[in-house]
Order: sequence, then structure tokens, then C-alpha cells
Amino acid sequence: MDTLEALARLARKACEEPVPVFDVADGVRLRIRSEKSASFTWIPLGLFGGVSAVAASITLFLAIEFWKYMSSPVMELVAPLPEMRLW
Amino acid sequence: MENTDWSDVVASRNGDEDAYARLVRRYEKPITSLLWRFTRDPVQCEELVQQVFVDAYFSLKTYRGDAPLLHWLRKIATRTGYHFWRDKAREPAETPLPDSDLLEQIEAAQDDEIDPAEAATVLHALLARLPADDRLVLTLMYFEECGTQEVAERMGWSRAKVKTQALRARRKIKEIAEREHLLERLGWIL
Repeated sequence: MDTLEALARLARKACEEPVPVFDVADGVRLRIRSEKSASFTWIPLGLFGGVSAVAASITLFLAIEFWKYMSSPVMELVAPLPEMRLW
Repeated sequence: MENTDWSDVVASRNGDEDAYARLVRRYEKPITSLLWRFTRDPVQCEELVQQVFVDAYFSLKTYRGDAPLLHWLRKIATRTGYHFWRDKAREPAETPLPDSDLLEQIEAAQDDEIDPAEAATVLHALLARLPADDRLVLTLMYFEECGTQEVAERMGWSRAKVKTQALRARRKIKEIAEREHLLERLGWIL
């Protein structure tokens, strides 16, 4: 008999094997509950991350706009701050 | 699709835990039967069955109901089992072929007297020597009697890939079986 044919026959025999029986409904219910509660705690964190990213983008946009209107950005950086009366 | 399945799916989507428990009880047996082909450790198998139903719960909104629920669950189970193998492949361990006592016992018996569990042990040990992709194709073909089309659908692979994979996997397992002199050791099968 060919090896592959023999393996197929072995497989047919193996298919008659009794399979264990589990009752997973309660375990599944518990895992779903725990994953749901875990996902709830992630929402505020995700929201905070999203708001931070938007704020950072706005700041970057304003900084670039300001940078474009500087006549000499390097000189502006090293030049002393103009004295100004605050009160 | 059965109306009871669909009504339980809709109820589960709306948060009815009892409806989902009914679906789990209805299909845990065929899903266990499939996942038993991926691990022969009852604890791991139960863990995988649970994983399948948890994943299915969180994907229920993607189930459109155009195919029987069991087909959809089997697809999830096959992928879960495949990922389980892929994760296990990172651990360097090879499943040994059964000890000589078991092989002698099989050899001595007539075909009808062979314990199917022992036949499964031998076959699993052989299949475990293949890479995950090859092993999956042969497992589905041998144990689930899937054709190339069904394997392709379950895994989201092309049919051409499955055909090539099956050809390669058969060649590899033949080489392994011949190297181990399996046929001589399993005299009953000749």
C-alpha cells in the first residue's frame, strides 16, 4: 500500500475517536464580561490620547505659521527679548 | 440558516447573554471536535473552544447570516487553531512519535480492533512535524474531509495556494513517514 493511502486510512480510523465534551457556556460568559469591562477602561484613555493628539497638531500648526512670518528665524532665536513694560 | 439561530444572534447582538449561551451550547460540540484536531490536551482544547466563542461574540456584528452559523464558527475555530500552532511553533519542541509499546499494540491488532484514539495519536505526532501551513491543510483534509475550496474559504487563502500547499505537505509527510519506517511499524494497515 502507498504511504499516503495508508495515512489516509489511518486518518479515517482516527476520525472515529471520541472527542471530549466540555460545557464552556459559563466560562465564555465570564470571559465576555471581563473583556467588556476591560474595554470600557480603555475608552477614557483612548479619548485622552485622541484629544492630546489634536491639541499637539493645533500647536504644531500655529508654530509653523508663526515660523513662516519670521524674517530671520535664527536671529529671532538668539536676539534678546525686547524690553516691555508689563505694568 | 435556522430561524432559532438567527433570533439568538440578533438577541445576542442586543446584549442578551442567555441567547448567546444557547448558541454556545448548540455548537460547542462540533467546535470542540474541530479543535481537538489542533491539540490533544483537553485543558488547552477547552481554552481554545472558549476563545472561539469569545471572539465570535465580539465579531457577531460582522455575521450577515447568508451562510449557516456553524460554517462561520468553524472558520473562526480553524483560524484560532492555526494561530495556536503558530504561537507554539516558537517553542522548540517536537512531538515524539508514540513509544514502541503503542506501535506494537497497534501492529498486533486487526483493523477493527484498533483504538481510534491511538490511530489519532500516531497521525497527530506525524502531522506535528510539519510547518503550521502544511499541517493545517492536511489536518483539514484528513480529519474534516475538506476540499481545497473549503480550506481556502476557511483561511482566506487562494485555492491555488492551498493546492500547492497540499501537494508540498503530502510530499513532506510521506518523506517523514518513510524515514520513520511507519508502515513497517504499523503492519495492521497494510
